[in-house]
Amino acid sequence: MTLFHFGNCFALAYFPYFITYKCSGLSEYNAFWRCVQAGATYLFVQLCKMLFLATFFPTWEGGAGVYDFVGEFMKATVDLADLLGLHLVMSRNAGKGEYKIMVAAMGWATAELVMSRYILFLYLSLFTFISFDWKYIQMSFDSNISLVHYIAMAAVVWMFTRYDLPKSFRLPVTVLLGLCVYKAFLMELFVHVFLLGSWTALLVKAVLTGSISLCSLFLFVTLVHSN
Amino acid sequence: MFEEASEVFDNMFKSSFPLTFIVFIPAVLILVSPLPAEAAHEFTVYRMQQYDLQGQPYGTRNAILNTEARTVEAEVLSRRCVIMRLVDFSYERYQKALRQSAGAVVIILPKNMSTMPQDIVQQFMELEPEMLATETIVPVYFALEDEELLSIYTQTLTSSSSQGSSSAAEVLIHTATANGFQMVTSGAQSKAVSDWAITSLEGRLAGTGGEDLPTIVLVAHYDSFGVAPWLSYGADSNGSGVSMLLELARLFSRLYTYKRTHAGYNLLFFVSGGGKFNYQGTKRWLEDNLDHTDSSLLQDNVAFVLCLDTLGNGDSLHLHVSKPPKEGTAQYALLKELETVASSQYPEVKFSMVHKKINLADDTLAWEHERFGIRRLPAFTLSHLNSHREVQRSSIMDVRSVSPSSEHGAGEPPAGPHVDLRKLSRNTKLIAESLARVIYNLTEKVKICRQMQEEQLSSVVDWLTAQPRAAQLVDKDSSVVSTLEYHLGRYLKDVRRHYVKADKRDPEFVFYDQLKQTMNAYRVKPAIFDLLLAFCIAAYLGVIYLAIQFGLLGYLRGYQCPVSTFGSVEVNETPFLVSHWF
Repeated sequence: MTLFHFGNCFALAYFPYFITYKCSGLSEYNAFWRCVQAGATYLFVQLCKMLFLATFFPTWEGGAGVYDFVGEFMKATVDLADLLGLHLVMSRNAGKGEYKIMVAAMGWATAELVMSRYILFLYLSLFTFISFDWKYIQMSFDSNISLVHYIAMAAVVWMFTRYDLPKSFRLPVTVLLGLCVYKAFLMELFVHVFLLGSWTALLVKAVLTGSISLCSLFLFVTLVHSN
Repeated sequence: MFEEASEVFDNMFKSSFPLTFIVFIPAVLILVSPLPAEAAHEFTVYRMQQYDLQGQPYGTRNAILNTEARTVEAEVLSRRCVIMRLVDFSYERYQKALRQSAGAVVIILPKNMSTMPQDIVQQFMELEPEMLATETIVPVYFALEDEELLSIYTQTLTSSSSQGSSSAAEVLIHTATANGFQMVTSGAQSKAVSDWAITSLEGRLAGTGGEDLPTIVLVAHYDSFGVAPWLSYGADSNGSGVSMLLELARLFSRLYTYKRTHAGYNLLFFVSGGGKFNYQGTKRWLEDNLDHTDSSLLQDNVAFVLCLDTLGNGDSLHLHVSKPPKEGTAQYALLKELETVASSQYPEVKFSMVHKKINLADDTLAWEHERFGIRRLPAFTLSHLNSHREVQRSSIMDVRSVSPSSEHGAGEPPAGPHVDLRKLSRNTKLIAESLARVIYNLTEKVKICRQMQEEQLSSVVDWLTAQPRAAQLVDKDSSVVSTLEYHLGRYLKDVRRHYVKADKRDPEFVFYDQLKQTMNAYRVKPAIFDLLLAFCIAAYLGVIYLAIQFGLLGYLRGYQCPVSTFGSVEVNETPFLVSHWF
């Protein structure tokens, strides 16, 4: 990819994070260091997950075309560690609910952005000559969707651990929590079963994340408002 | 924000070492891991000839290219790689590309030549020597067609032919959806190959009955020629000649095994290399044998030298001579026997003698016998071609390709020059008959050669045409040479190799390398597209900002208490979620 294209993809991926950081007023509260700490926790959790997966889930030598539902489901269950990590970050930060959620989510999502996209794009644009492909733009869009997803996930985790959560909220919050964890698995399932194209898959992912985040936003606002 | 960042990094480096470790090591690991480069398509290309003959350069001088692809219909061709298909190829288009100083020319050939119509093949064959005649700095490559290459070609065609035609809106849409291709070769610039040895092979069958027997020399050159060395298979010219030579060697070695049929002639067989480059192998062999050796079969009594060149097809046989043979010589006897055998046993063959004087002012000699003629040895060449200037002697269209499977029209002859096995074996029988009658001095109508092994002829031709045999590709360790040596060794005695290397100071021939390359086609988008994309992304970001600013925060602000403070952070009057953009 050319350097200009790298700039385009980088802008598309990074600017929403920047906008969110600024608009949510986190800069007022010197939250940068805490976001970095959240990012470090993300790296640590990823490392543990990878070690766990490598140890307990050997590569499956089955046929190439068959999709191993059970195996992938088990692997997705390991993503519960994400929730634990988010909870850890939020419990270490004292402060109001929104503050904790935003710090944890921003740090987590930024770490994921840097690790999975930024370094890759930089490498590709500087050191190798790659054919143009639409998938880089799609990856940048995907990181936007991930930001929303992590904010929703952090909010749901926070709500789950509240002692003053009303009984009627327990079930929806648990369902949302499960959806958050298994979202990646569900996406792969959809792509495999319905044989979606890349842009269609992105659209489905955006719709799914949007619906999860709207539900969690509604629950969160109701909870905060009722207090 | 940047002061915060620097403060953070200070803290990080002063304290918590494990944290730093965990943060940086994955980053470093990801950074140094190698990623493979990804191309739209990778394919092999074969370069046009590049050689110097007697100081005169021929062919293309350049090998590297890194340019964008276009087809001939585009307006601007300079410094672009012009792609053409064989069906659309014509000399005017080729000249147009060269005149506009194109970066390169790539000609796409169909995988199966036999599907091409006759006139296109003929036209291309006639253009080959013209393309080679002048030297050009534009690298010319040939590629074999496959699906991906064809799709690349059609995409380039649509984008090239629509340039400068339509309205601004169409052009805009076109840049967003079109794919450009960047063609890159991976090799280096071509340079001369030093110390290239052209190999020739000789073998003999000694006659019986005393000293100083007359010698008959049978010669055929084994190398092939075409506009691209890696694509020149040379089935008829001169795979047919070599296979006929091997068959004659087998026949006469059988005859010479028995005392009854052991004749009083020495037979010398010579498979020469560098034939298409003005018969370099023969020239040096003659010099070595006549000038530098004390005694050699060539110095003594030579009855005649028969060169076999392109005998695999056609219904005519021409005996090319530089001086009409005088009566009473062995040459004359062979001429008469050929006439007799042809008219009596093979009436469909039209035999004639063609007289052409040796013209030393020409760039290259016409037939191989002229080399012997220059050294005053009686020689002639047999060929089904009438003139040495026939284009099928040096064409890449000369392939065996009579495919045995029923898919490609089994048994249908291909459009270009090729070997017809029945005619080759008929010619072999004819020549063997005539030679036998001269050697054994027979006068009656006797059919000697019943034992023609057609399968052997067929398999030799198949093997020869299975690989390109251009002189630049056959070095002394090549399998072609060693297999020929083995075959000659089965029938003949004293099989020897003979090497020709170009003279250091005044080389007769110079070959160049980088004849086969791997070309990559990378998909690229024009610069306008990047600007367009940047504009769209800026619009998208603007929408996001407005959505967050006014939509989301407005919704949330509606539910906030007017004053809220945090626990451990400094007391602040403003609510948390009020935006602070600037």
